[in-house]
Amino acid sequence: MTFLAQALVAFALLITAYFTLWNLSQILMAPLAIRSLWRHRLRYTRRARKLAGGVAVPRFVSIVAPAFNEESTIVESVRALLAVDYHPREIVIVNDGSTDRSLAVLQETFQLVPAPLAFDLPLPSEPIRGIYRSVSEPDLVVLDKENGGGKADAVNAGINVASGVLVLVIDADTVLEPDALTRAVLPFLEDTSTVAVGGTVGIANGSRIQNGRVIDTALPAGWLARFQIVEYMRAFLLFRLACASQNAVVLISGAFGLFRRDALIEVGGFDRTAIGEDMDITVRMQRHFRERGEPIRIGFEPNPLCWTQAPEDWRSLRSQRYRWRRGLLQTLWRHRRMIGNPRFGSVGLFPMPYIAFFEGLGPLLEVGGYGVTIVAASFGYLDWKYFAVMLAVSVLFGVATTLLAVLLNDVTARRYMRGPDLALLVVVAILEGFGYRQINSIWGCIGTFKALTGTGGWGAMNKTAFR
Amino acid sequence: MIEVLMWTAVSVAFAMALVVILERAEFGIEEAIDRRNIRRYRPLVERAMAGDDAARRALGAAPARHRITIAWLVIEPLIEDRDPTRIDRARAIAQASSLFPVADRYLRSRRWWRRARALRALGLIQATDRTPQLVAALDDPHPDVRAAALDGLTDMRDMTALEAIVVRVHDTSLHRGRRGAALRAFGTACEPFLLELAAVDPENRLNYIYALAICGTARSRPVLCRWTEDPRVEVRATAYEALGYVGLDDESARVAIEGLKSVDPQVRAMAAYALRGWGQGHAADRLAEHLDDTWAVAVQAARSLQSMGPAGTAQLQARAPREGMGGVLARQLLWQAGDHQS
Repeated sequence: MTFLAQALVAFALLITAYFTLWNLSQILMAPLAIRSLWRHRLRYTRRARKLAGGVAVPRFVSIVAPAFNEESTIVESVRALLAVDYHPREIVIVNDGSTDRSLAVLQETFQLVPAPLAFDLPLPSEPIRGIYRSVSEPDLVVLDKENGGGKADAVNAGINVASGVLVLVIDADTVLEPDALTRAVLPFLEDTSTVAVGGTVGIANGSRIQNGRVIDTALPAGWLARFQIVEYMRAFLLFRLACASQNAVVLISGAFGLFRRDALIEVGGFDRTAIGEDMDITVRMQRHFRERGEPIRIGFEPNPLCWTQAPEDWRSLRSQRYRWRRGLLQTLWRHRRMIGNPRFGSVGLFPMPYIAFFEGLGPLLEVGGYGVTIVAASFGYLDWKYFAVMLAVSVLFGVATTLLAVLLNDVTARRYMRGPDLALLVVVAILEGFGYRQINSIWGCIGTFKALTGTGGWGAMNKTAFR
Repeated sequence: MIEVLMWTAVSVAFAMALVVILERAEFGIEEAIDRRNIRRYRPLVERAMAGDDAARRALGAAPARHRITIAWLVIEPLIEDRDPTRIDRARAIAQASSLFPVADRYLRSRRWWRRARALRALGLIQATDRTPQLVAALDDPHPDVRAAALDGLTDMRDMTALEAIVVRVHDTSLHRGRRGAALRAFGTACEPFLLELAAVDPENRLNYIYALAICGTARSRPVLCRWTEDPRVEVRATAYEALGYVGLDDESARVAIEGLKSVDPQVRAMAAYALRGWGQGHAADRLAEHLDDTWAVAVQAARSLQSMGPAGTAQLQARAPREGMGGVLARQLLWQAGDHQS
């Protein structure tokens, strides 16, 4: 056997070992995740949830929802926000220079009138064109501002205007669970070092929504959205829950993040140059408070807090994944000092190295591994069995991990209760490993290239009104 | 080796699929049993809760294995519905169904969640003969059990537990929100204890002020006024804030107006807050001068003016045409007060 052949065999085995390690590490996270779920279920009983309404001074929450060209979904989204059963609260919709009729439909539907609103400007944002309040809905404030080129700028403007002690940052198309705020506020009441709370986000495609509430969960008809459902389960119920159990949350989803307003202002708000602003703000908060030796807790609610629309066409999904990839790499690069650094406690020692090693390198090694072994096997330098083993290990362990996430989802949320839905979910979990994951890895490589060359924008998503 | 790895991967994937299916099957069976028990006992529980003695006796005769289901059906609705008659009837059902021995067993359990569950249940049915156990559980080694004990005592509202709750006002091992909720539940009855303890414990004055903000009355005013001269900025500011909750009289209003002259913005802001609703004398004039103060003070001043009725509205209207932050704040609060509807 030539040196080249030996090197190729070693490479193929190394990549296979990497896949095994990656998937096994996720499976090994399960005990942490299960323990966290179990404790959560025992602690946050119905009586415990009542605390949110029983405290002496209930926390005022400002719900900040930036909207850019959301004409088709904005009214439904605002109605859903108004249906949230938490008081006291205000809803701040930030129209981020939409070029469609977003503002007009809001004006027509909610009887908006221009209103004076005085506020401080602790965070930088693009100029505000107008402030409107609703005559019919006193809790609603609509902020019309110049487009700042991203969600961060719009959110900062909303935080400036917000009068709540807590600020809930959501996407305009997020559909909240009615008791989402009551559940999310609890960690703040229990532990004064809590600066933020995130939670599981469900995919609303296929589910029935009425009066801003998800009244019947079902799997969508399209396979792309189905794949994303199991993908979300894997992301939220394994890694993030395991991180939460170690007080090491590094990502609060942009779809739902409840923050202490003073903490947000202390870290300088959302970074307008950040591509993945949700991960950036979470890691920055962890870094800021840990560097100062101040206590910090970021809570995580495993039961779904909200629902969001997943892209159902390849183009939207691709641009979303490019953006996520660039955001991930940018955050890792900016906070590279935290990776493996015990000074940052559990965050430096667990999620940061994990993300860098597996999420950061994963797609490159996967695509590289397949590419090199296929070429080498085609030219006879490598036996095809090495490729087959690599593929099998990657796919089958991946399927096992996804099924584990499906199991955890079933135990916690009991979302897809119809037998055929569960059966379909198992099929989706299996099929997701054959093609969809590999395509994602290829997009990950292209996203890496775009990150290195500084190309690519925010990306648009085709959205439809909720069913 | 390679084959082993492959077969391991296949087995793990297959086993996981099997586990998903088995878990759902087990859940289905459990749910069916629960449904059957609920169908069987809910009508009886409803009748017993409506005062039907025969139904109560029938529940008492239920098999021991169904006691937890009965307890759940009887006690869980009490989380929201705190009607005293229903609580009394629930306690009677618990007695008839021999639920107290179950609760006592749970209280002695090594499993923290069982202890917590029993404490909450006893609190919800106001089993005051178990108050000592609930008070003792405030020192349980597990934080969730301590939290449950506090929840239980909050629901119980047994005055004999009051002192035990008040002395724990700065016990950080108990959830802060729950401490506040407990004080709120007992209300003004806590005040004498708090004042007594505060007199001998100046170190923890801040916590006493927070507590008095929740349950203080006119009786606390002189003490709070005295504390507005504390050397610590945070204590001074919080004392003004507490005065805002307790409400003012002539003397405390004078103290609050004096507080507006403080060099510390935090103190000025809370002094402005304290004047909320106090539309007498020169308070509105003094507050209006602070509409162009730093943001935190200006906001509190504006909101207090808004709450003062005609005196405050007049000041806001006078400031509204002006440029700058004070003018915008005045316009905003006038708008909120309903000017836009006219």
